[in-house]
Amino acid sequence: MYSIFKRAVFFILLIGFWELLFRCGIWPEYVLPSPVSVYKTLIRGFQDQTFIIGIAISMKRIAIGYGISIVIGIFLGLLIGRVRVFEETLGSLISGLQTLPTICWLPLALLWFGLNDRAIIFLVIMGAVLSITVATDVGVKSVPPLYIRAAKTMGARGWKLYLEVIIPAALPHIITGMKQGWSFAWRSLMAGELLIVCLGLGHLMMIGRELNDMSQVIAVMIVIVIIGILVDRLFFVKMEKRIRERWGLVKG
Amino acid sequence: MSEGVGIENSIDLDQAKVDSELQPSHKADGVWPKLRIQHVSKSFQSKNGKVYVLEDINFEIQQGEFVCIVGPSGCGKTTLLNIVAGLEKADAGEVWANDYKINGAGTDRVVIFQEAALFPWLNVIKNVEFGLKLKGINGSKRRSTALEYLKMVHLTKFQNAHVHELSGGMKQRVAIARALAMNPEMLLMDEPFSALDAQTRWILHFELQNIWLKTKKTILFVTHNIREAVCLADRIIILSSSPGRIKKEFLVNLPRPRDDNDVNVAEYSTRIMKELKAEIDKVMKCEMDADSCVECDIKCTTEGVAKTDMGGGI
Repeated sequence: MYSIFKRAVFFILLIGFWELLFRCGIWPEYVLPSPVSVYKTLIRGFQDQTFIIGIAISMKRIAIGYGISIVIGIFLGLLIGRVRVFEETLGSLISGLQTLPTICWLPLALLWFGLNDRAIIFLVIMGAVLSITVATDVGVKSVPPLYIRAAKTMGARGWKLYLEVIIPAALPHIITGMKQGWSFAWRSLMAGELLIVCLGLGHLMMIGRELNDMSQVIAVMIVIVIIGILVDRLFFVKMEKRIRERWGLVKG
Repeated sequence: MSEGVGIENSIDLDQAKVDSELQPSHKADGVWPKLRIQHVSKSFQSKNGKVYVLEDINFEIQQGEFVCIVGPSGCGKTTLLNIVAGLEKADAGEVWANDYKINGAGTDRVVIFQEAALFPWLNVIKNVEFGLKLKGINGSKRRSTALEYLKMVHLTKFQNAHVHELSGGMKQRVAIARALAMNPEMLLMDEPFSALDAQTRWILHFELQNIWLKTKKTILFVTHNIREAVCLADRIIILSSSPGRIKKEFLVNLPRPRDDNDVNVAEYSTRIMKELKAEIDKVMKCEMDADSCVECDIKCTTEGVAKTDMGGGI
């Protein structure tokens, strides 16, 4: 309770300071809007549904892109983690590509797909897939060989060995990779939407910029942060907690 | 091959134990032995050249027999068990289970490892169900079978517990239940109790004997603990180290359930220990400083035990 109180005081002070800065009148309103006008824009955005449509479009893109990267990432991670040849070849490619910022894929995406949804989804995939691949690879390599031997004597082989033993055993690592992949995917999505202007939250920000409506830009930024936190809290933090409890990595 | 070491030449023991002591350990009778190991050899490539872990191992295990393989550390007993389990391949020789040649792991030979190897992502009952699920047995049948075996190891109360909440002994009991639930032809146990404390081990020795008497499974049990072997086995196979060869076989014909601390068990262990002395010596000489006196240490301990014995005249 006490920490929530501290947090509340901090944010009230922050907004107060912001309001104070606005009242000083050093910058014009299109450079620094007041918290009140940002709040009003936020409410209006939800009332006339522009924000809701923007969120829906962005969420659809990330759901498709992130979903595809989970499937590809886990598959590639299993290949690299279990098959020597792939580790030596594909593994080095993946670790090399990891150093490449996702936005560097934008020119390629534009040439391959054009200014559309598919280019953005491609960016999302490129953002998330590598972290999931690497985490799955690490997870697979850290599965105790004893589990695999035990499972083999109980009749696990082929894809069942992967489905029933290797993937569940590697799950703590995979979840960590998925969490990291999510944040990369979310960032790539916004970068993509800002640069490839076709609806979505990023597009709403660009409209704000074009109309010199800074309060809309900040309102959308707040929405983006809140969605990011919500997904993290509602999904990843819960998942991680559950796994830690189950595996006995925390007390209580 | 088998050499029954008669008890009658030692001290006065119960008549029941002395009977059938010198019977041959296996008969053909037109029935397939449960397990037949023929000319099995295995070597590893190390920095200092080839190391022969197993050399020309031959023995048979009959249906329902409880056999312990005992040997000093590094004599290849675990390797032998892994070969039987199908987890490792022998360089030469064949292993037959019933009438088929072993080629890879199979659900008819379930292994219980030194660490329980329970899966932390599943709770206790789901761990016991694991093998049944792979066999494709449906939900309710699976659950009832798993519960039945969990009951056999007295752990139904913990069916929904996470694995990390169990003690070492409980984990090993779940592992036994998990193996039995598969209804295997044979249980392969690789030093399953060696990581447990003495009291837990003592209790589990009783439990395992009771389970064996109830289920009549064929059990191949690997251990370095002679006392444990005498407590559990019908027949003890002693392996020598580098290269691993069968040095001797003993029949143990003491009444069950046996107690680790029983005088007869202790006495029998001492005698086997003496047989093994040369082997332990060999291992110790490799592991210890050159100036250590292994000879006198062993003499000390074995004579000490002998003095506390009933008869003491071994």
